[in-house]
Amino acid sequence: MNPVLYWIDRLSALASGSAVWGVFLAGAVIYLIAEWRIRLLAFLAQYFFIGILFTRLFSERPEMALLKTLVGWLVCGALYLSARIRQDAQERQAVFHWAADLPFRAVALAMMTVVAYLAAQRYALPFVTGELALTTFLLVSLSLLFIGTEQDVVIVGIGVLNLLTALDIFYSVQDPGLLVAGLLIVVSLLASLAISYLTVVEVAE
Amino acid sequence: MILPGPLVIVAVPLAMAVVLQLLRYWTALMAWLGAATLVLIGSLVLLAPLDDAWQVANLTVEFGRPLVILGRRLVLQPFDQLVIAFLFFTTGGLFLVAWRLLPHSNFFPVGLMIVALLAAALLVEQVVYAALLVEMAAILTVFPLHEPSSGAAKREEITSAVGGMRYMVYTTLALPGLMITQLFLDLFAIFPNDQTLLNTAAVLLSISFAILFGAIPFQNWLSRVALDGSPPVVTFIFTVNLGAVWFMLLDYLRTYPWLAEQVPLARLFLWLGLLMMVIGGLLAAAQRQLGRLVGYATLVDNGAMLLALSTQQVEGVALATLLLIARPLSLALMTLGLQGLRRLDGGADTYLTLKGAAWRAPWRTFAFLVGGISLAGFPISLSFVARWGLYQLLAQEEFTWALLSLSGSVGVMWGLVRSLRVLLKRPPPVERPVGARLEEDRIVLVLMLLLILVILLLGFFPQSVSRMVYQMASWYTIF
Repeated sequence: MNPVLYWIDRLSALASGSAVWGVFLAGAVIYLIAEWRIRLLAFLAQYFFIGILFTRLFSERPEMALLKTLVGWLVCGALYLSARIRQDAQERQAVFHWAADLPFRAVALAMMTVVAYLAAQRYALPFVTGELALTTFLLVSLSLLFIGTEQDVVIVGIGVLNLLTALDIFYSVQDPGLLVAGLLIVVSLLASLAISYLTVVEVAE
Repeated sequence: MILPGPLVIVAVPLAMAVVLQLLRYWTALMAWLGAATLVLIGSLVLLAPLDDAWQVANLTVEFGRPLVILGRRLVLQPFDQLVIAFLFFTTGGLFLVAWRLLPHSNFFPVGLMIVALLAAALLVEQVVYAALLVEMAAILTVFPLHEPSSGAAKREEITSAVGGMRYMVYTTLALPGLMITQLFLDLFAIFPNDQTLLNTAAVLLSISFAILFGAIPFQNWLSRVALDGSPPVVTFIFTVNLGAVWFMLLDYLRTYPWLAEQVPLARLFLWLGLLMMVIGGLLAAAQRQLGRLVGYATLVDNGAMLLALSTQQVEGVALATLLLIARPLSLALMTLGLQGLRRLDGGADTYLTLKGAAWRAPWRTFAFLVGGISLAGFPISLSFVARWGLYQLLAQEEFTWALLSLSGSVGVMWGLVRSLRVLLKRPPPVERPVGARLEEDRIVLVLMLLLILVILLLGFFPQSVSRMVYQMASWYTIF
């Protein structure tokens, strides 16, 4: 084995357990804190952890994991720009504050996390390792929370992107071919563009 | 140089999309060029013999020859010809409708890209790629759906991006189901004794298509898109995008014929279709916003299509396709009317704001009503012919089902009659002064009259269309 690949494999094996909970923690920050800059920073961190998990998936081709992380950060950049434009148009001072109805959110997040954890224990996804299965279920839970309980276009959009990432992880295990991986990257990029557009278009009107 | 047909079908609209993007300043040129491209390729697809070649200068186009990309094949099959022609002609027609309504719009270039993606989705052999391409097309639709108005059409309107967001969210929710279904079905082909794989695949497939069709309880996106979106683009989503989804469902059933045999899909379609028609009819009857009425009328129509498929007969597939072909005419007319009525009062379409609007925009009111009557499946329209055939097929099995499905159409009609009463009401001048009459664009007026004429003509003489549709349906040997 190529020594670079060997060390990447070793490092990712060490970090992947923490990366799963890193994905969850980043999602929790997005859900519980209402300041858009912190939310997008957490989303950026979430893609970093997802990148680590992708190196487990593409152990022979770490450049694919790097590509997925870079695309994720590009998505974060697009969302940042549109959120910034919206912030400027609203002329409101951005200050740190917790999301409204915090107790409800905390309980909902806890419940969905337990459901995801139990689902990962109980339902074995074909050919998917335990860590990746837990990540997939956690991402699906987070996306359902974002889509189902948020009004903000950016956060609902992050839910959509989380769902696409969960699908990407699950499907890449089944079919590690380049075409599906490439098409899923295009879908994520298009989705992020559409989310940015929708964020700005309400301001433009 | 030999070009495979699928390359021409997909690449030419994409190339033209780039050209149209450069011509955004000239709306008429964009609309006509886009429409001409689509009509030309649509005609070629419809008329091209699949076992022969077309010679153009040094180029030879073989429509039957597959296009291979990284080992995946895109092939034009006989049953795809009419489907792709339908998508191209409908989009071309909608470009002409949008010509006067959406100046400098990105609907024209983006519409070409979407239709190219949908054509690729229908041509590709593996359904997993079809699902991904349909998802991409759905995401792209968001851009023209919520495009800020410009130029002469700029108005102080109440806008919200919720409709586009919901459409994208629901389509994305359907995507995992569609992709995983294929995986499970392929596994079932290897392990035919594992019934769990088949059952899971059937459940995932049903939920995914229910979401994409806006079936109960996922109907929310249909009404919201109709409420928030730009009318011509709403028609595009409800006809072209939903049409592609419909044919993708037929593709799934054709690719995995044992799915329909081993899982009671017909029963599922029957109850889902009935539920959509009955609930859709009730919701349409209770609406107080014209945009939502359009959404629920489409829900009823989608339910009728699923019901037709549940009959497990070639006639059923033909009737569903006939409904789909009739839909762009009805919806285009309805949304032309809606667009004018919305312009009267800053984009609002509630009963409160549209009281007496018929006196200020008589032609738009007439267009909305005729389109609505046609979409509801009442005489005299092509939809009526299809719905009548559907009631007859259902009555042969169970008379109650025919009555229940009829109630959906009655609900939509009830909503239209309520709307008409509001539109015709003259508000007391003290309470609300009557606004100025809508200045009608003559070209839009001609378009509306043309659409009314085509609806009536096809309603009186449906034979030519129904014959063509029956021939196409007979290629889908699902049942």
